[in-house]
Amino acid sequence: MVSLETLAVLVLSGLTNGSVYALVGLSLAMTYGASRVINFAQGEFVMLGALSTVLFVTTFSLPMSLSIPLVLFVCAIGGFLIERFAYRPLIKRNADPLTVMIGTLACASIMTGGALLVWGPNQLFVPNAFSLNSISLAGITSTPQQLAIISCFAISMLVIWLLLYRTHFGLAIRAVGVDPNISKLMGIRAERVIAFAFVFSAVVGGLAGILVGPFLGGHVAMGLVLTIKGFMAVILGGMGSPFAAAAGGIVIGLLEAVVAYYGSSFYAEPIIFGLILLTMMVRPAGLLGEWEATHK
Amino acid sequence: MSQHFMRNWLPAILILVLGLALPVLIHSGFQLRLAMLICIYAIFGMGFNILFGLGGQLSLGQQAFFALGAYAFALVQIHFAAPLPIAMLAGITVSVVVSLVVAIPVLRLRTHYLAMATLMFAMIVHDVAVRWTGFTGGSSGLQVPPPVLFGMRLERIEIYYFIFAIAVVAFLVQIFIKSTHIGRALQAVKADETAASSLGVNVVRYKVSAFMLASVFSAVAGILFAIVSRNVDPSYSNIGMVVNLLTLSVIGGLASRVGPFFGAAIIVLAPQFLTGLQEYETLIYGVLLLLFITFLPRGIAGLFERNSMPTLALAQPNTGSTDAAKADST
Repeated sequence: MVSLETLAVLVLSGLTNGSVYALVGLSLAMTYGASRVINFAQGEFVMLGALSTVLFVTTFSLPMSLSIPLVLFVCAIGGFLIERFAYRPLIKRNADPLTVMIGTLACASIMTGGALLVWGPNQLFVPNAFSLNSISLAGITSTPQQLAIISCFAISMLVIWLLLYRTHFGLAIRAVGVDPNISKLMGIRAERVIAFAFVFSAVVGGLAGILVGPFLGGHVAMGLVLTIKGFMAVILGGMGSPFAAAAGGIVIGLLEAVVAYYGSSFYAEPIIFGLILLTMMVRPAGLLGEWEATHK
Repeated sequence: MSQHFMRNWLPAILILVLGLALPVLIHSGFQLRLAMLICIYAIFGMGFNILFGLGGQLSLGQQAFFALGAYAFALVQIHFAAPLPIAMLAGITVSVVVSLVVAIPVLRLRTHYLAMATLMFAMIVHDVAVRWTGFTGGSSGLQVPPPVLFGMRLERIEIYYFIFAIAVVAFLVQIFIKSTHIGRALQAVKADETAASSLGVNVVRYKVSAFMLASVFSAVAGILFAIVSRNVDPSYSNIGMVVNLLTLSVIGGLASRVGPFFGAAIIVLAPQFLTGLQEYETLIYGVLLLLFITFLPRGIAGLFERNSMPTLALAQPNTGSTDAAKADST
């Protein structure tokens, strides 16, 4: 029988990891929603966020409050460059969607290669924005940094919901996602919407990097795994909206926590892959997916 | 007529002549090994060509069949001392049977969902290969005995011709599939499944056949890779292998006939030139790849091949020029 406390610990650790996957997943879904491209460089922004924190806080000794905006700015520039120099030229040349995907993979390689020159191949300690001292909440031990990840995820969800459903620009984003050509006829500058989606996703990725860096450690090669986890979140939740992707991320995080607790952590990975595969057989368009994939 | 010949067959004939003459032109064993790897990756790419280029089914799990073929090939030789042809047949059989079992549920999914499901499957295969140490040798893998055919141990040049001959056969099979009713049916499935089924194409059957055919190509490539590297380990099924496959398919030219040879040549040879750059290697590789596909979005074969297999709308391209894309591909 599971004690309530064990359950709470599992949920908390699941939510922490799940929030990171959810943040990567929802940023992937934001880009996909506007541009119909899975950006395989998305996880690299988590890497860039974590390692830029090292650069500004440890190397330049800047205060954390100043470093966070700078890190997010660096990531925003990265997102802008990918849209301008990889996505847009390929789309203009009518490249096959798979070719565009390889283009984003090339960007991932450029970012990893660039980061290797700046930060070297070693794992670096990422300074924490919030305290890592454990605090006790109703008998459950946690750290402010851990709680910050979860709350940051919750706030991002709220911001994205407000943006998408309560602003004119959000309406434009959704319109471009439905049909870029018709949205252009409606006077929407589709290129700008797509560029915004790339920049916004990069910032969300960077934010995830700042928060999860102290737990994972900063390493130049950490991006690809996170991209795949984020992609898993998108697919498990469904490609319809960033919220479905976020739900997928949380489910994966909770699954990982539960499987690692009950089974051996050695077999956790293949078991989770198997469970996701089985879920996809039952829900071919994701848990919350619109039937977009099957009815395209 | 002659122009059609020039565009579509001349590159293939040039590759054939070059491939036959290669052992005379190059001398070092290392260079010959690179040539073998090019042939192997080309075979791997041709399988993907049938599945994705013809049938429009995006799989990110082909490396699983590459690994399954190679592991079965190695295990049958180790445990039963099976001769080379039998071991190859065993590798192919295992791969095809697994592909059938996987294809039936998985091919109900489409586009990115299919891509993710096949990737999950391949990652499970990879995890099993790493963890089932007693059977697969874990991360250090299995030793593959030297290739012996009809009682003779094959020398390096003989292995090269053996692999090259299989690559030529694979190429002919690819062309044959494309030009028969199977190819037409697959193209119909790719364009519109509902329309294809209303014209009497058994959509499920053709999708599953394409998946099984691709797994044969992948298994053959994996087996030959095992012969060349004399070792089978979990790296056969890791994510880098499918990245290689996608990259070679894109830079060779998606859905083109000879594209896989060109793409394979580039992904095998480029790292050889780039290793001298040391810590700049990853960065320069990314920049070159991006420039390459930006300026040659239809790949190398796109420069000369005209009636290559039409490109696919995996997701609708998000530009104002979708009509132009349709006009191009017809």
